[in-house]
Amino acid sequence: MSELLAQLRKLIVLVLAVGCALFFLLRAAGDPAYVIAGMNATPEQIVAVREQYGLDQPLWRQFVVYLGGLARLDFGESISSGDPAMALVLDRLPHTLQLALMAMLLSIAVAIPLGAWLGARPDAPLRRAVSGVVFVLQGSPGFVLALLMIQLFAVELLWLPSIGYDAGDWRTWVLPTLSLAMFSAPSLTRVIAANVVEAMHEDYVRTARAFGASFSVTLWRHALPNALLGGAALAGVQFAGLLSGSAVIESIYGWPGLGSLLLESVSTFDFPVVQAEVFVIALLVFLVNASTDLLFKRLDPRLRDRR
Amino acid sequence: MNAAALHPGRVQRAIALLREAVRIPELALGGSVFIGLLLLALFGDFFQTHDPGRSDLTQRFLGFGEGGHLLGTDHMGRDVWSRLVAGLQWSMACAFAANLINLVIGTALGLAAAERLGALRNVSRQVTDALQAFPSLIAAIVVVVLVGQGFVPLVLTLGLLSWPIFMRVTNAEASSLYTRDYVKAATVAGVSRIRIMIGHIVPGLRATLVSVFALHFAALLIAESALSFLGIGAPLGVPTWGNMLAESRQYVLVEPRLLLVPACAIILTVIAANLFGDGLGVHARRGRRTEDR
Repeated sequence: MSELLAQLRKLIVLVLAVGCALFFLLRAAGDPAYVIAGMNATPEQIVAVREQYGLDQPLWRQFVVYLGGLARLDFGESISSGDPAMALVLDRLPHTLQLALMAMLLSIAVAIPLGAWLGARPDAPLRRAVSGVVFVLQGSPGFVLALLMIQLFAVELLWLPSIGYDAGDWRTWVLPTLSLAMFSAPSLTRVIAANVVEAMHEDYVRTARAFGASFSVTLWRHALPNALLGGAALAGVQFAGLLSGSAVIESIYGWPGLGSLLLESVSTFDFPVVQAEVFVIALLVFLVNASTDLLFKRLDPRLRDRR
Repeated sequence: MNAAALHPGRVQRAIALLREAVRIPELALGGSVFIGLLLLALFGDFFQTHDPGRSDLTQRFLGFGEGGHLLGTDHMGRDVWSRLVAGLQWSMACAFAANLINLVIGTALGLAAAERLGALRNVSRQVTDALQAFPSLIAAIVVVVLVGQGFVPLVLTLGLLSWPIFMRVTNAEASSLYTRDYVKAATVAGVSRIRIMIGHIVPGLRATLVSVFALHFAALLIAESALSFLGIGAPLGVPTWGNMLAESRQYVLVEPRLLLVPACAIILTVIAANLFGDGLGVHARRGRRTEDR
């Protein structure tokens, strides 16, 4: 219970911090009325915008009104479409979650066996070569890999569509998922491999071997589960990385998620939408972090009573 | 007797360092490629064969080596090699400047946290956690749009957003250094806290920070090119790798070369910086082990 309260406190700090940062950043960047009304606005339009958004009020009143909106999750209406900003964001959210989830599952499906294989005998020649490839993939920028994959699979081989999203056609999902997985699979593989290497030298593995357990049993039953715990602790960081990646990947593939919405709203200076979006993303990352935190305190006895 | 015989000078130390560097393959390989790229960026003007901005519409889409263009020309007849070098200069300058800001902020906060400056410690931890939890590229997208396009806004955005890695490393390293006997001895001897920090802690951080600097350089380079690629980093028309990649997308059917050349350049640079950083990390850890002995 106290853990939940601690997480709740963190959440409140986070919401206030993100809210304040957005509020002051927008105002520090110049007169928001000009930004909202656009480059070619007439003075009358500027005045109208000031009134409409309450920008003629003193700063502290604006801030109070803004915090009130924040508490009600009300960020106002989109400047370009007039729809409630929050509704627009929530509309796109499932697509990003779908993409991130598919990429995460693919990463896990690849990283666990590959990491275990690499970590079991890290000095075998073939595995050293594969480790090298994983290292290069981990270092390479995900959006560059995405462009190269489009070139290979969509332009040269004509196997898959290069762009567009169709909820009913799985072929439009393949390249975006593969591209986004490139943001997490290589690093996850390396973490698991390193953890397996370490675990294989632990006393409990040596003891199991001494009692006659075969190499593969010690690897899969003893070393890997412990290696996975270490890897899973990174889930929150990985998820944040995937959301970062989805901003580029979605805009490359025209995937109708949060990332492409962010770029659209940012390029049209649609600040209500940007604010709602940043808020939702912060909340999302927080939820993933908090739930993995709580989950792993249950799974891993070593974490339980440490403060 | 001159001092050089008693104390190994800079030259001797540099030679010893080089000798050791060769024994760490990551450091030798990554370091030489990275330093080569750095020199190419510094003296780029000598290596550029053409003006990177000059277009010649009669010379569009020339292939490798055609018409005196080493890597051919792009959709506007501009020399790809010269644009690549210009992009390298932009990326290196941008990543370097942002990295310096990161280093200063992160190290200062990390030292403050390790020195247990009460309130500052809590605040810097909270801010670091929050910044690290938030997807960095999304934060950069929002901030860079607010502060505007161009070199300085880009550097400031990346510089002010991505220092947590330095804070965490400095904090962890400095905290462990504070438990060392020589630091305790200095404290007992009445050396002031500031002098302990500058004289005993900071020198011990150097090797690790250099390694993080190189690794983080790669991350900043990726962030910069991603922002440029999305059209919100470098202003349009400036030859950067991100812009080159974005422009190449319309010609993937005609000229995949325009995609492959900057893609390879980014991957090569980032891998070199990563290897260099890993090698420096190995070097830092080895140094510590000999110290402990």
